[in-house]
Amino acid sequence: MAKVIRSTTFALSFGYIAFGIVALVLFAAPLWYAWQVTVEDGRSEILHADAQRLTEVFNREGVTGLKTFIDTRVGMQLPAERILMLADSSLHRIAGNMPRWPQTVPQQPGLYTVTLELGGKPTESVIVRTALPDGYNLLVGRDVARFANLTRHFWTGLGGAVAVLSIVGVLGGVLIRQAILARINSIRETVLAIVKGDLSHRLPTRRSGDELDTLAHTINGMLDQIEQLIHGIRDVSNSIAHDLRTPLAELRSRLEELSLTRPSNEETFAEIDAAVADVDRVIRIFNALLRLAEIDTGMRRSGFVQVNANELAAEAVEFYSPAAEIKDVVLSFESTGPVCISGDPTLLAQAVGNLIDNALKYVGEGGSVKVEVQSRSDGAVEISVADNGPGIADTEKPKVVQRFYRGDLSRGTPGVGLGLSLVQAVAKLHGGTLELTDNHPGLRVRMIFAPGARISGRPLIVSTGVQESDAVTAAVKSEPSALPL
Amino acid sequence: MKLLLVEDNERVTRFVVKGLQEAGHTVDNADNGREGMFLAASEPYDVIIMDRMLPGQVDGLSIIETLRQSGNRTPILILSALSDVDERIKGLKSGGDDYLTKPFAFGELLARLDALSRRSQGSGTQTVLEVGDLKVDLLSRKAVRGERSIALQPREFKLLEYLMRHAGQVVTRTMLLENVWDYHFDPQTNVVDVHISKLRQKIDADFERPLLRTVRNAGYMLSADG
Repeated sequence: MAKVIRSTTFALSFGYIAFGIVALVLFAAPLWYAWQVTVEDGRSEILHADAQRLTEVFNREGVTGLKTFIDTRVGMQLPAERILMLADSSLHRIAGNMPRWPQTVPQQPGLYTVTLELGGKPTESVIVRTALPDGYNLLVGRDVARFANLTRHFWTGLGGAVAVLSIVGVLGGVLIRQAILARINSIRETVLAIVKGDLSHRLPTRRSGDELDTLAHTINGMLDQIEQLIHGIRDVSNSIAHDLRTPLAELRSRLEELSLTRPSNEETFAEIDAAVADVDRVIRIFNALLRLAEIDTGMRRSGFVQVNANELAAEAVEFYSPAAEIKDVVLSFESTGPVCISGDPTLLAQAVGNLIDNALKYVGEGGSVKVEVQSRSDGAVEISVADNGPGIADTEKPKVVQRFYRGDLSRGTPGVGLGLSLVQAVAKLHGGTLELTDNHPGLRVRMIFAPGARISGRPLIVSTGVQESDAVTAAVKSEPSALPL
Repeated sequence: MKLLLVEDNERVTRFVVKGLQEAGHTVDNADNGREGMFLAASEPYDVIIMDRMLPGQVDGLSIIETLRQSGNRTPILILSALSDVDERIKGLKSGGDDYLTKPFAFGELLARLDALSRRSQGSGTQTVLEVGDLKVDLLSRKAVRGERSIALQPREFKLLEYLMRHAGQVVTRTMLLENVWDYHFDPQTNVVDVHISKLRQKIDADFERPLLRTVRNAGYMLSADG
């Protein structure tokens, strides 16, 4: 029972019933009051006027005249409808429709509500007692029994309405409670299953689109996100374990071998240097992961400023151009002019740098890499890096942005498989998207920043003083060179 | 140089103190905030190396803030495992002059200490820098070696200027990235090395005595006696 009282639906239906009753009473009360006042006032007015008229008859025509008048009136009407009586000073009946002067009428003239014997049964009536000259007494009155009936009907009706309201309310409450409880229980069971560890469960939804359904959809969306995150974490943990295990295994065997063989000093130092390089690789992976974690939390948004994407990309191209020259790759830059996005300059530079670095890594000697910044007609800003290298198969494309994923082509190249993940995380942080498309041949990677991420017409905050003209084409022509590194 | 190391990890302390002493520096060390605060306030140091998280209620940043409020201008290098950009900004805002995250390479620490001590000596208003027979005019933005003028791209000029300002000191790749390109991230590949070799091609290729040399496991150094 306590559970029933605690339940929300019980409280709700009880509240509705109480509210309904209050509304009914509020509706009936003024009606009742108005009726009472109007009917009673009207009644007493009529009685007083009647008494007044009869008094006038008495004054004009005396006892005999009034007696004749009353007898005529009594003969014309139904006995119960009206009370009319003339009596002498000792209250003996002279005329009227009452057999004798009623005992219950008070001595003083005035308006009273009394119980009289009418047609053999006590009846509530309203009367006016008037004192006529020479001690005669006049009684004019009306039986209110039919109004009493009406009153009774009124109260019965009101009570009935309350009863029906209560019954329907309770029944409705119980039914609603059962319906809602059933749905809530199914939600509860799903959530319990999820708590136990099976994340594949989803809340049952209907097509109704009601509140519970909306809630279920929202919760399902949240579960999708959580599942994705957990899978992501699981994948990343596996990848970390794998990717860190490799350099750690190398490091361990290197040190163990050193300890066992105790080679000459020169060789020992070489091995120690190699061991430090192994550790540096591990640290590098950690740093990349920490940066990704930092980006994922979205904390960096607090430090957003206006960044000139054009300038940022031009600088990245300039930074990587010597590396391109060495590989005999043409690295070019094209832009439609200055475009601003609100963002973190360091992260954006790192993202563009990663894309150029990737392209240079895979494009092969004699290839070309083209970096483009353009402000699109739909208001979005696009930074793209395209190469004419081997490209990525369509089936591989979704995988390469996964953390630690390394395509077959990347197996022998330096890197930890976090480059594109970082680019994607940076794009996401800035409300943008990352698109990988075919460049026929090669790969084109686009970072697209939606118009919301871009604020135009503001002064540019740029960290360096390199000015680019409106349409920059800084093609770095390469000459085969063998620079000493 | 006379240096103060405030660091609670014994192993790191031993490693750093030994390395710095071998590099010819005098090192005092404190393993808690209170002692570090006392030493930093009472002794004159060239550079203070400060760990952020320290035992004994007083943390690194509050020591730095207190020192700065009392008018102490000793250069401070913050050493911390907190690597977020926000943390770095917090460290520099509190009054630190440089921020190095753990784990670090000893060469990096040494190079940054050198750069910090040089900065405090103040050589800011020079308009012509000279190393051996290489001259750089910062106003006309021209570089001349011997009798020959060297054509440099703007970024190459900036790179050379930074190296010349730190002539005789080891400059690491990270320092170059941060100060010449303003890049505070790891660009994955050895792009800095490529820039250096391009510069070297221009300033050293046709001369008998190279000025710019590579320091193993650390970075680069520009010096007349290279």
